[in-house]
Amino acid sequence: MTPEPTIFIVDDDQEVREALQLLMDSVGLQARTFASAREYLDAFDPDLPGCLVLDIRMKGMSGLELQEQLNRESLHPPIIMITGHGDVPMAVRAVQAGAVDFIEKPFNDQILLDSVHRALEQDAEQRGRESRLAEIREHLARLTPREREVLDLVVTGRRNKVIAADLGISQSTVEAHRAKVMDKMEARSLSDLMRMMLAVQPN
Amino acid sequence: MPRLSLLLFILLASAPAWAAQTVRIGILSHRGTAATLARWQPTARYLEETLADTAFQIVPLDFSEVPLAVARSRVDFILVNSGIYVDLEVRYRVSRIATLNNRRGDRALNRFGGVIFVRRGRQDLRDLDDLRGRTFLAVDQASLGGFQMAWRVFHEQGIDPYRDFRRLDFAGTHDAVVLGVLHGKADAGTVRSDILERMAAAGRIRLRDFRVLHLRSDPDFPFLHSTRLYPEWPFSKLRHTPNALAQRVAVALLSMPPDHPAAVAGQYAGWTIPLDYQPVHDLFRALHLPPYDQEPEFTLQDALARYWPVLLLGLSAFLVVSALSAWAIRLNRHLARAKRRLEQRHELILNSVADGIYGVDLEGNSTFVNRAMERITGWSAQELIGRNQHEVLHHTRANGRPHPPEQCPVYAAYRDNRPRFVEDDLFWRSDGSAFPVEYSATPLQDEHGRTLGSVVVFRDITERKRAREQARLRQQELTRVARLSTLGEMASGIAHELNQPLTAITTNARACVRLMEAGRAAHLGQCGDILDKIAGQAERAGEVIRQIRRLARKEAPERKPLSLSGLIRGILVFIEPDAARAEVDLKVTFAVERDQVLVQGLLIEQVILNLTRNAIEALSTLSGRGRRLTLGTRPCDHTCIECFVEDNGPGLPPEVRDRLFEPFVTTKAEGMGLGLSISSGILSAHGSRLEMDTPAEGGTRFHFRLPLADVRSES
Repeated sequence: MTPEPTIFIVDDDQEVREALQLLMDSVGLQARTFASAREYLDAFDPDLPGCLVLDIRMKGMSGLELQEQLNRESLHPPIIMITGHGDVPMAVRAVQAGAVDFIEKPFNDQILLDSVHRALEQDAEQRGRESRLAEIREHLARLTPREREVLDLVVTGRRNKVIAADLGISQSTVEAHRAKVMDKMEARSLSDLMRMMLAVQPN
Repeated sequence: MPRLSLLLFILLASAPAWAAQTVRIGILSHRGTAATLARWQPTARYLEETLADTAFQIVPLDFSEVPLAVARSRVDFILVNSGIYVDLEVRYRVSRIATLNNRRGDRALNRFGGVIFVRRGRQDLRDLDDLRGRTFLAVDQASLGGFQMAWRVFHEQGIDPYRDFRRLDFAGTHDAVVLGVLHGKADAGTVRSDILERMAAAGRIRLRDFRVLHLRSDPDFPFLHSTRLYPEWPFSKLRHTPNALAQRVAVALLSMPPDHPAAVAGQYAGWTIPLDYQPVHDLFRALHLPPYDQEPEFTLQDALARYWPVLLLGLSAFLVVSALSAWAIRLNRHLARAKRRLEQRHELILNSVADGIYGVDLEGNSTFVNRAMERITGWSAQELIGRNQHEVLHHTRANGRPHPPEQCPVYAAYRDNRPRFVEDDLFWRSDGSAFPVEYSATPLQDEHGRTLGSVVVFRDITERKRAREQARLRQQELTRVARLSTLGEMASGIAHELNQPLTAITTNARACVRLMEAGRAAHLGQCGDILDKIAGQAERAGEVIRQIRRLARKEAPERKPLSLSGLIRGILVFIEPDAARAEVDLKVTFAVERDQVLVQGLLIEQVILNLTRNAIEALSTLSGRGRRLTLGTRPCDHTCIECFVEDNGPGLPPEVRDRLFEPFVTTKAEGMGLGLSISSGILSAHGSRLEMDTPAEGGTRFHFRLPLADVRSES
């Protein structure tokens, strides 16, 4: 089963870091603190679910730079930026680069907690989608090459007669392969199969 | 001559009878009585014939007899030479009635002169002046034509014959004089006119052997002559002689024909109306001869003639003295006027000066005051003069304590004869109020260098002090505005610095509330710790605010011994977030243990803030990483400590570097350009100097030195 989501807190101010951890603790959320972006990167594990509460302005690597690094990974926890007064332009850049939210210091605890919950949902969602794609890929791997060829042509919307002509096989053979594909892909209908293939191959 | 004939007729016709009377005619006789009688008897006979009723007797008189005969009236008429006549005229009032026409060859002349001559060969004797120091020959001292006429000429030339000739001889006769000169017995000589011509005619001399000096010419006079011409012998009547007789004699003489036998016998050519004998008078007067030889009769003219150089000198001296006196009087008047004017001007100047001026004598009493002093102090001149100035003006110090007279600089000035200048003191007005003054007290000396007292010039400096105080306040305000401006530039950094503790506080507090609401006993004990933390964080925020307020307030003017590193640490709350925001790597180093400096802490903090702020701004133009700011202190020597702010930014453009500390010079797009000029001003007020250099590795380094407080207090 997937592990419990964690709130990753990155702030170079110890007082703020500890206060945030206490807040998460007070609402029963698991939190981990990091004194710098580098420290977090070193401990980064894409498989760990949760969200990132990140101070935008820090000594050494800034919050924005950390975000940039994480965007190169296939999967990372959603980011909530904490900004000081006057850092709004930077926060906007952070959102454009994919941050879930930005919150100005000093902040209302409820607003932060709401934001954290939203981020966790988003993470769960992105992590769920990820596991479904993995299942489809697994099913695809079961197909024989001839079955994969038939599948690709079916997805383009070609009829069996056309497919048989293209592949130089009989129409009944095409039908047999189709049945096998539907079975192996565990598709309930043609449209179900189409959705699966679109999810795997967005293009 | 019909008229004359008529006159003669009338006179002769009406003639009274003097039959029994003999008229005596005195005649000067210098050739002896017989000769004189022989010469003049025919003339007497002519008169007897002409007058008919009167006998005439010739009385020959020698030179010495003439005056006596005249004085005693022994003669009625007298015939003497012109010289004697003039004497008699003056002394005995004789009057001439006719003048003799002398017979000279075929001519009748009634005038004669003198001739001054030398031998022709004497080329060295060209004029009268050449005769000085020579020998001179004349006829006789009393001879009119043979000496006196020439004497007058010499006299007029400034030559005194008795003094200026080597020798003056009298030859006795005219002929002897001529021959003497001819034979070289004398260098020059004088005789009466016509002598030379007569001797030449007689063949005794040749005229060409002689040369006449001072030759004069007269168209009516044919003979050589060197002098004026004088009238010939006059025929005179005495005072007692009746006029009627004199008239008849005169008519008889005048009507005698020139070639009458009597005239021929008398060697003359008749008579003429009496001539003017003034020239003879003049001659005697000029030569001071009788009758003009008496001192009492010494005339002004004589005096003028004789003493003219002395008189001229005297007159000149008188004129000079008069002129000098006049000048002296004028000068005196002028000086008096100038003095009055000077005094007026002196007073005018004294009174037009805005500064108070007064004099003090050796007793300390005021001797004079000007109007400004009266105006400034409210005391009138009468109230001040003669009174002790110290007691009036200067009795109390600014702190209210009495000002002892022995410490008064005004007195000190004349005690040791050295001027004093006092920049800030207090004088007292008549209304009991005091005003700040600056004054000079200068010893006053007379022309012998003796000290008389001193002169004090003072100025009310109330306005100046107020202006100075206002300027100081303005500068202080400007400094503060600049500081606030710097704080403004750092506002977001400061906000961050406040946000951090505030964020921690709110977050902790809310968490605590949640824990308590959840009633999770395990966490309740934790809440105490959390509240402690909250308090600490609130203090941290308060500290930042205190720092801001400290920087924003007006500086306290006094200096205190403060730790320089302590000052820097205090403002790191502003510098650190500012540096962090600009992604500047800030390094703070304190390399000195003892760093107590006597400063106005706020102002030094302002300087350091300015410098770090500038450095951070300079660094922010640098792209990428590696922005470094180093701030700290280091020792320079045992008396002072150096504070420095160093960045590795792009450095300053050269055109700005030279004018860096001037106001309103800036490289920033925004900013007043006051930071460095104010910093520089603050440091120079601390006896220090803001310096800038460019390290070889690039960037900019500002530094300044402050003297250590304990060293200062020891010294």
